[in-house]
Amino acid sequence: MRPHFNALVILLLLLGPVAYAQNDPTPNRHGPFFLTVQIGGGQGLVAVGGGCWLANQKLEPEVLIGYVPPSIGGCAMAIFTFKTTYTPYSPSLQNGWQVSPVSVGGFINYTTGDQFFLTNKSAGRYPKGYYWWSPAVRVGALVGARITHEASASDLNVFPRRTTFYGELSTNDLHLVSKLTNKSLGLGEILTLGLGLKAGGR
Amino acid sequence: MPAAEQQLTTQNLVRLTSRPKSANDTLRFVFVGDCQRFYDEAEDFVASVNKQRNIDFVIIAGDISDFGLVREMRWVHHRLRKLNVPYLTVIGNHDQVGNGRAVYQSVFGPLNYSFVYGGTKFICLDTNGREHGFQGQVPNLGWLGQQLADTANSRRSIVLCHVPPTDEDFDPALALAYARTIRGSSQLVFHLAGHIHRFTNGQPFHDGVPYLTAYNFRKRRYTVLSVWGRRQFNLETVAYAPAL
Repeated sequence: MRPHFNALVILLLLLGPVAYAQNDPTPNRHGPFFLTVQIGGGQGLVAVGGGCWLANQKLEPEVLIGYVPPSIGGCAMAIFTFKTTYTPYSPSLQNGWQVSPVSVGGFINYTTGDQFFLTNKSAGRYPKGYYWWSPAVRVGALVGARITHEASASDLNVFPRRTTFYGELSTNDLHLVSKLTNKSLGLGEILTLGLGLKAGGR
Repeated sequence: MPAAEQQLTTQNLVRLTSRPKSANDTLRFVFVGDCQRFYDEAEDFVASVNKQRNIDFVIIAGDISDFGLVREMRWVHHRLRKLNVPYLTVIGNHDQVGNGRAVYQSVFGPLNYSFVYGGTKFICLDTNGREHGFQGQVPNLGWLGQQLADTANSRRSIVLCHVPPTDEDFDPALALAYARTIRGSSQLVFHLAGHIHRFTNGQPFHDGVPYLTAYNFRKRRYTVLSVWGRRQFNLETVAYAPAL
């Protein structure tokens, strides 16, 4: 996929909330959908996407499209991620604020580019079983924490109903395998920090 | 990525050449390969090499990483930078998986390069033909021939790569021409490779050229090579723990 095409997709997704905010708010209804912008976290330098809330907003399946610039990855890459986060409890503070001390989740992603072959067979140059992993597909796990603000009815003209700022530490299968086979590799060495914003719910 | 962890080949060559060595002195270096995902062993390796005396530098014959990930190459570097001597690498097949090739070039440097130290010219090149789909371009025989022919500042030459020409991951269309190119050098001491994870020393082409392969990190052994005179060399094996 060409980088400017990636950039276009991301731009469209970023413009999404703007169009979204022009609808008349219906304060009595909680929409299940949210949009996400994430920095880092193993899904791209910047990833955008969205998902929906399930199970009283504890479960958040979402789809993200991430971009890795050539300066980081050697060449431009797009990463498609399916991610689910579970946030079991979110105690309320004052003025619509909630703090969630822990979220857990998992993801699977696919990186574009010929060099990220799906299987030895699809690469066309390896005998069967040559490499045991797929460079294109990563699975991983994450833990995180978040703060959420629920807008009051009078603020819905300006704000989405729910805005969540989150941080998370993730690892993927290859980093984890490296850690499990080496005592000298610290936990910090296999973790990746991601920060993001989720907004939606009208 | 911090600048201190980019272009490590150049950085190590600067460190190496800051301690000049005469062509008449014996050159002594550590030869090992395939450190892929052996971080615990890497720490033991560094401790052992730092106990040796009169080592000029360390050579890693490719497969620095297992998955071609930037983080892996940095994990290896975070351990090998504790060596008292510089270390030099050549790209392996695992270092080219995914974005590995671009990552290797940013962390270490060029895939094909040469340097002269202590009167000895080291020619390091990418021989991972399978990773390039056996297109007849890798290894670059033209470049290798030029490098071997250019002997202006050296009295000895050594070729270093990852996949040896006798291996099925070497481009089969180029193996004999490669051996012929190597054989054409009048000042070649030996050919060094990794990939097969064990030490071997033979003359597979029956042409008087010694082809050596390196222990991988898991063997917890490495070879110390000493080179002097026109083409004399000596090898010692160092074991730093019981082999697994």
